[in-house]
Amino acid sequence: MSMQSSLDPQSVTDAKAGQVTVPMWLVVLLAVLGYWGMVYFDHHGGWFDARVYAPFASVSVVNELQPVSGAEAFVNRGRAVYETTCALCHGSDGQGKPGQAPPLAGSDFVLGPSGRLIRIPLHGLTGPIEVRGQVWNLAMPAMGAALSPEDLAAALTYIRQAWGNNAGPISAAEVEAVKAATAGRTLPWTAAELKSIQ
Amino acid sequence: MSRGSWIFILSLLGMIGSWFGTVLYPQIQLGRMVETRTVPDGQVYPVARPGLAAQGREVYRSQGCYTCHSQQVRQEGVSVGLAITKVGTNQTALVEAILRIAPQWRRDQVTAGLERLPFQVMDGVAAAEAERARRPLEAAGATTMVTVRPVGADLARGWGLRRSVAADFLWDHPVMLGSQRVGPDLAGVGSRLPDENWLLVHLWDPQIHTPGSMMPPYRYLFEVRPAAEVASQDALLLPEGKGPGPGKVVVPRPEARALVAYLRSLEAKAPLFETPVILPAGLSGTSALSVHAAVERP
Ligand code: HEC
Repeated sequence: MSMQSSLDPQSVTDAKAGQVTVPMWLVVLLAVLGYWGMVYFDHHGGWFDARVYAPFASVSVVNELQPVSGAEAFVNRGRAVYETTCALCHGSDGQGKPGQAPPLAGSDFVLGPSGRLIRIPLHGLTGPIEVRGQVWNLAMPAMGAALSPEDLAAALTYIRQAWGNNAGPISAAEVEAVKAATAGRTLPWTAAELKSIQ
Repeated sequence: MSRGSWIFILSLLGMIGSWFGTVLYPQIQLGRMVETRTVPDGQVYPVARPGLAAQGREVYRSQGCYTCHSQQVRQEGVSVGLAITKVGTNQTALVEAILRIAPQWRRDQVTAGLERLPFQVMDGVAAAEAERARRPLEAAGATTMVTVRPVGADLARGWGLRRSVAADFLWDHPVMLGSQRVGPDLAGVGSRLPDENWLLVHLWDPQIHTPGSMMPPYRYLFEVRPAAEVASQDALLLPEGKGPGPGKVVVPRPEARALVAYLRSLEAKAPLFETPVILPAGLSGTSALSVHAAVERP
């Protein structure tokens, strides 16, 4: 019987563990499977980000589909900052409030050189000023001093483009530059001082 | 080292690796999840279910509704498009501009579309194309909006506006996702069937609104009482001829009311960062949404 012959001591000593080379097709198959796995992960893994679900592949894809992006998002952020820090006095419609604050819509301070506008919220403004042909003599505190340069830039960009205003955007870098140039100043600005800034 | 210990160590590493990826890391991410905010309104989401609906969740659980209903809407992609929300002053120029960027329209279709705003000018295009098409239309005075509409078989059935995400289930313990769809998915049933009486009637006798339904009646969540004893607003409004007989009315027990409150709280349509949806007011997610509701509502 074959059972017996395999137990035959002679044939057991003859048995050797041979070296069989891995067949080439298996190596290729494993490589293809590995590659497919990585591609699949790339498309479906979302790099383990909890905000990425199928059918989206990555955060950047989700980001592109968000309601607003780019310049629009910046202005929207600006609107939010304006509503929380400035609108109380200047009004959500930018028309100001009699006896409290002058209008921002159509104001030369807002539409003029960015250096002037940035200085106003950074340190405040006091004394007589003229806005849209009307003289105001009040004092504005340094409302923007505590804001981040990005937030202040966004708010100023918003007031330069809302309510029919049509002036260029203000970047965070410009705000930072003015902050650096006026470091150490504690007094509010006056209209005469601002006039000398271009 | 012998081959056996290598095999042991490598398979152990393999198992630790997959355990890390499929159990530990998701637990770290989702286990510590807190409320998020909707985009772009910034409302806190989700808010805890009101008391009655929270009780209803326990009824849903104890009745085993999840054995036949899932609560998990899937999505296959998004369709980006462009819609006009305001015409502006120069309608003639706008019509010309639309015909130039979207030649598939006929002039009379465009004019009719502009009468009924918002008007979906294009759909199923690349985001860059929609963004490019925007400029000539805005130049013609229109206000436009790039739309992002989730699409997929579940959404076409009207089961929701977008896919379900982990945030939808933040306040649910346990999360009853379900695994079989003997009946329709319920993740958005509160948006699709907000009518309390409709849902109660469906629990009392599913055949009334959906003849041939596989769902068993849940009569024991109701009581049949003499009409004289019951205030009319507490009784179920049943269609003619389906009532329990003359002088009798069907009154939902508190469990039935709680269960329906829970069902009505299932909405899962808040726009979140992870499921972008941009549609102007007045454009529904999938046109099938309204069709489905019209078929199922009495
Ligand atoms: C506490 C009320 C108050 C708040 C808050 C306030 N302002 Fe003012 N603002 C004033 C007053 C008052 C003046 C006029 C000062 C004067 O008469 O010299 C003024 C003047 C101005 C001017 C110049 C005049 C004009 O109308 O163009 C600008 C620009 C301005 N504010 C911007 C801002 C911005 C930006 C913010 C938010 C970061 C802000 N203000 C927040 C009260 C306020």
